[in-house]
Amino acid sequence: MNYPGPLPRRAFLSDMGMGFTGLALGAMMHRDGIAAEPGWSPPDGKPHFPPKAKSVIWLFMNGGVSHMESFDPKPMLNKYSGKTIAETPFADTQDPKKLAIERLVVPDANGNQRNTLYPLQVGFRKYGQSGAELSDWFPHIGRHVDKLAIVRSMWTTDSNHGAQTQFHSGRHSNDGNFPTLGAWVHYGLGSLNDNLPQFISFGFREYWNKIDGHYLGPAHDAVPLRVNPKDPLDFGRPQGDFSESDQAKGFDLVQKLNRLRGVEYPADAAMSARIDSYELAFRMQRSVPEVMDFSTETAETKSLYGLDHDHSRDFGSQLLAARRLVERGVRFVQIQHGGGGAGAWDAHGGLKANHSKNALAVDQPIGGLLEDLHRRGMLNETLVIFASEFGRTPGSQGSDGRDHHIFGFSVWMAGGGIKGGVVHGATDEIGFHATENRHYVTDIHATILHQLGLDSRKLEIPGRKRLEIDHGTPIREIIA
Amino acid sequence: MPATSNPNIQWTRSWRSLELAVAVLILTNAVKGQSAETAEEKAGVKNTAESRIEPSPATSKVDYLTEIKPILVTRCYACHGALQKKAGLRLDTVEFMRKGGDGGDVLDRDSPILLDRLTADDPHERMPPEGEGTPLAADQVAKIRTWIEAGAPAPESETPESSPRDHWAFRPIERPAVPKTKNTGWGRNPIDAFILAKLEAKGLSPAPAAEPGIQLRRLYIDLTGLPPTQPDSDKWRERTTDSQYRQLVTKLLSDPAHGERWGRHWMDIWRYSDWWGLGTQLRNSQKNIWHWRDWIVESLNADVPYDRMIRLMLAADEIEPGNLADLRATGYLARNYFLFNRNQWLDETVEHVGKGFLGLTVNCAKCHDHKYDPISQPDYYAMRAIFEPYMVRNDVAEGGRNTDVDGLPRAYDARPEDPTWLFVRGDDKNPDKSRKIEPGVPSFLDCAPYMVKRLELPAQAVSPGLRADVRKAQLELAREKLARADAEWAEADKAWKTVTAAKAKKPDKPADAAKPDTGQSRGDELSSLLSRTLAEKNRLAAGEWALAVRARIEADSAVAGNLPASQASLLSTIAAKAERRHALAAMEAEVAKLELDAAKADEKAREAVIKSLEQTRAKIVESRKAVFEAEAKPLVHTPIPGGEHARTMFMSSTAFDPDPATPAYSTGRRRALADWIVEKRNPLTARVAVNHIWARHFGEPLVPTVFDLGRKGQPATHPDLLDWLAAELIESGWSMKHLHRLIVESSAYRMSSSIRGREENQSADPDNRLIWHRSPVRVESQVVRDMLLDLAGNLDRKMGGPPVQPADQEKSNRRSLYFFHSNNDRNSFLTTFDEALVRDCYRRDRSIVPQQALALSNASLVANSVGPIADRFVQELRQAGVDPVSEKDFVRHAFARILSFEPTAEESAACLETMKSWASGHPPESAMPLARKRLIWALINHNDFVTLR
Repeated sequence: MNYPGPLPRRAFLSDMGMGFTGLALGAMMHRDGIAAEPGWSPPDGKPHFPPKAKSVIWLFMNGGVSHMESFDPKPMLNKYSGKTIAETPFADTQDPKKLAIERLVVPDANGNQRNTLYPLQVGFRKYGQSGAELSDWFPHIGRHVDKLAIVRSMWTTDSNHGAQTQFHSGRHSNDGNFPTLGAWVHYGLGSLNDNLPQFISFGFREYWNKIDGHYLGPAHDAVPLRVNPKDPLDFGRPQGDFSESDQAKGFDLVQKLNRLRGVEYPADAAMSARIDSYELAFRMQRSVPEVMDFSTETAETKSLYGLDHDHSRDFGSQLLAARRLVERGVRFVQIQHGGGGAGAWDAHGGLKANHSKNALAVDQPIGGLLEDLHRRGMLNETLVIFASEFGRTPGSQGSDGRDHHIFGFSVWMAGGGIKGGVVHGATDEIGFHATENRHYVTDIHATILHQLGLDSRKLEIPGRKRLEIDHGTPIREIIA
Repeated sequence: MPATSNPNIQWTRSWRSLELAVAVLILTNAVKGQSAETAEEKAGVKNTAESRIEPSPATSKVDYLTEIKPILVTRCYACHGALQKKAGLRLDTVEFMRKGGDGGDVLDRDSPILLDRLTADDPHERMPPEGEGTPLAADQVAKIRTWIEAGAPAPESETPESSPRDHWAFRPIERPAVPKTKNTGWGRNPIDAFILAKLEAKGLSPAPAAEPGIQLRRLYIDLTGLPPTQPDSDKWRERTTDSQYRQLVTKLLSDPAHGERWGRHWMDIWRYSDWWGLGTQLRNSQKNIWHWRDWIVESLNADVPYDRMIRLMLAADEIEPGNLADLRATGYLARNYFLFNRNQWLDETVEHVGKGFLGLTVNCAKCHDHKYDPISQPDYYAMRAIFEPYMVRNDVAEGGRNTDVDGLPRAYDARPEDPTWLFVRGDDKNPDKSRKIEPGVPSFLDCAPYMVKRLELPAQAVSPGLRADVRKAQLELAREKLARADAEWAEADKAWKTVTAAKAKKPDKPADAAKPDTGQSRGDELSSLLSRTLAEKNRLAAGEWALAVRARIEADSAVAGNLPASQASLLSTIAAKAERRHALAAMEAEVAKLELDAAKADEKAREAVIKSLEQTRAKIVESRKAVFEAEAKPLVHTPIPGGEHARTMFMSSTAFDPDPATPAYSTGRRRALADWIVEKRNPLTARVAVNHIWARHFGEPLVPTVFDLGRKGQPATHPDLLDWLAAELIESGWSMKHLHRLIVESSAYRMSSSIRGREENQSADPDNRLIWHRSPVRVESQVVRDMLLDLAGNLDRKMGGPPVQPADQEKSNRRSLYFFHSNNDRNSFLTTFDEALVRDCYRRDRSIVPQQALALSNASLVANSVGPIADRFVQELRQAGVDPVSEKDFVRHAFARILSFEPTAEESAACLETMKSWASGHPPESAMPLARKRLIWALINHNDFVTLR
């Protein structure tokens, strides 16, 4: 293949008038009859204002992490263990008005009130200079607490696992399917690397719809990758006796034939887009395996990510791959931890065994990622977020579990211009309701987009007017 | 922190309880997304925080038409315009504003009501009202103020907003006259006249006809989803006559592949989806929903009229309650089944009946009156009331044996008495129980009355167990069971006899006699005897079962009305006794089995077996009593099952809701709806249908917003053509094949997609809105895969039946529409080329992404196809007398067969050069086959393989 070196993305966009994304969306807009709307044009790939972060590593714990046993410890649960909430001074948490944000899919689907307080299943202590309290299941993350902004006042509305989609798209599953945050970022921002897909997903997402782009189109779906240099992406290499060099000749011929055909059919935007898509495909095919090949990483780095332990190797490998991708300019790496059922963290029973095992799988890799990014000077422009679809009930479910809990839970962010050592917002003393500085999930989206220099309102496309709540508001208090 | 991100912070303030309740309600609705969507949001007016912060300095001169009116259009017209005239006020002309509403002139300079209401502090006074939109931005208010202060100057003769009822799509369809055109030599049928007239009016000329090969490929793929066959491909290299063209159209329209091709299109629109849920729990759609897919394919092949198809999909159970083949059509409704939530289920039903058949966004009126079309919120719930009674039942399919494997999902009115309430602001937690909503259709469409007639159902429709085929199957099943038990008994008897015979012989065998009799052989003998007893008991039980089935059938008939009540009761009792006899026999067989288990069990396990043996023996005593003791009360038998209600979990996620009693009647509401939809005077139905059909032939629809022909939708590019086609569809007896033929035989359809030589057209109409050339179309995912299989000669043309499961898809050669396809499970190859989204796919996406290049380069489907395709092409050439086959011949043939065009000298040379390079270094006998295979790969990756030129 005789490309004159890597073609700058911008150049080849202007070459054909629009990018793939432009074409995919343009075609769709035309399809929906909105292309005619005056004054609208697709994003030019430039941030709307100077960005603080270039890339996002999105860590999502499927199933629902107990906020009390991770980033929002509540000693009152020990004090009132076994008491019903009505018997405690916190009876007003049960005020039906405060519970009204919940939007049910089915009246009792795991959204039951669990009223008997269940004690903390793990100890906790203060970490770092900020002295933020974290549970003992997350010592590696704890070591980096001064890099984190912990938001303890999240709320959502779907008490079932549709909240997974909701956390990504901002919409309750009953409203339908909407683009996820990663898709918006992909749609809004140009590429930093012409050889790699810019929106990547790792891990488990069997419970929720595997599509991200929705009305933005499949061009904005995450490309699922595997940490396997031999087979890192679907249809990633030639089959059978087709050698790479033979294939390269083939690509050359295909491109030549397409260009010749283009003489007969001038001004065919689809033809130009297809020619370009083949260029990128060929590059991706070469670049992706290289990213998944860790042989150039030192043993020390690998061990930093927990690659030498069985319990943390899988997740650690994904995080190391994420760093390597971000290093090469990938915009958004979305990693879902924990498969099976509705998600590995879904501890309706046996919470202690469940969470201690899952924490063991993710804690060291995440600590390693933060350390590695920091050491390489990448953390200041890479935004790392740790989230889960909801928290878990302060009350017990069965003898040793906790149910889904939407009224208050925690996420944290680090890097990418986010303040470190900050605890923002709070739940009440039993971790039931977010009481201070409450944030719906789209405030997280808004914060991330803000750090990337994007204004979600400027990304809107005609005919798909979004609601105020879809946009959210950046959490200024945690922005450095 | 703005309230938007913080809806519930109000708790911390001490609001009066009423206000709190209102605030919470409004804010929860805000979270509910679409439910709170307002006119201004839909109109795309920015009303962001930024725009509110910096009011632009009021200019002394403000232009009403460019600066004031646009604000009013987007923010006020929905309630104060032609659609609604709230408080008697219209704001769509200055004259109306002067006339004012209940409070008089709203533009009075001294007391400008308009301004007062826009800027009121009291949220109850302020416009737009809470929940209907955010307050106007400061700069907007300033402009209005300046304008009023200037005396509200108005243009002369301002036209008011036209009445919503006059919207083009709501007016009756009248067949327009076919326009006269200057060029009389181009058109083949009236479609062309409509198109040409528009082109001539703009001074544009139509593109010439595409090359015959391109036309051939278009026809094949458009009408059957498969590439041209070799004989046709060869024939069509040269010029073809119109009569040949028409013959080919006839051939392709009668090819069964046609129903498969267009079936997939309608499956997109009608939201076909195989079932999905969590793990093995079915939550959406139905297990055997494929019956509906088969009905679609068969109906299209049989050219079942479109109106008939709509009627059957919505109400086959009320129109043809005894016809299983027709009942499959109601899979359209069964697909909306949702285990957990009735509101969601019915919301989707109303939304997609509206969008799919009527091109109306009725769903927008769920929370408030429609902001564009005259559809009130009660209209929405009236439409819901039509569907309120329906649920899903799985009947045994024709000749089937059970409702699981052989179930046929169908709709039926299970809850005819369920009331429908209007949900205040669309909030299902807040039903307005003061008024029961009656079923109905949007009243502004008064093309025909909506007339509900309740109907009594035939007994077999209420109880499918009465069906002759179900009975026959149950009897067959019983007989098979008996035959099996009998054979097993014979086997066991033989085995026992062998063991005892062997024992009897033993003394004759000195070698054996020397050995002491072991426990082993005693054990064998005992277990053989016990096995024989078990087989005997099983055989008896099977016999009792056969008798009980027979008795139940008799009793079913009697109860269904063939006999007087006392006799029916007697037969029912006798059948119930027969069932008990079977239960007793089965229990005795269970005892025999446990005895055998006990004999075989080791010491450790034996105790448990003996315990359950004792328990079963104790139960037998009860069971005997139930059989032999006389009972005062008549018994009731178990009817032969023929249909199973699709159970729901609306109340709890851990237990099924109680099954509704099966009513002996149906409300007739859906039949009435279907009749109203297909009523000839309904202005929407035919327009929506022809628009969909046109879009799939031409790549672009005539009305871009295919599911919204209302006032928010886009106007038609060719309104007369649309109406002419709609009239043609209706008058042809709703024949879709008639419409297909008309469209594909037009000159417009046969145009080239090249714009070469018409660059002046290109600048006048770059988007080809006027259809001066054909637009190239990326084929759908299914076509990509099916073409590959067909070219390789591998396509399995078997039609219908259960879907190919994901695990079997890699190896399957069936057409892609038979692949299991749900919200959760999709084929990755197909998905790469924009698979239908099952929630909503009125138009398929046509993206161009690198993953498609990777899939066509590297999928094993492609790798496995290129060899066979190359071999086949060489064969074809040899059969045509080209032998030996030169590489040039091969290239030419491959282009013709895969891309349907002749390579230019340059293209041919490029191919030959690369083939040579591929071949080099390989031994002569394998070099050329390899190069050919690679060339096939290249042509499959050619843009024009996935493109309809």
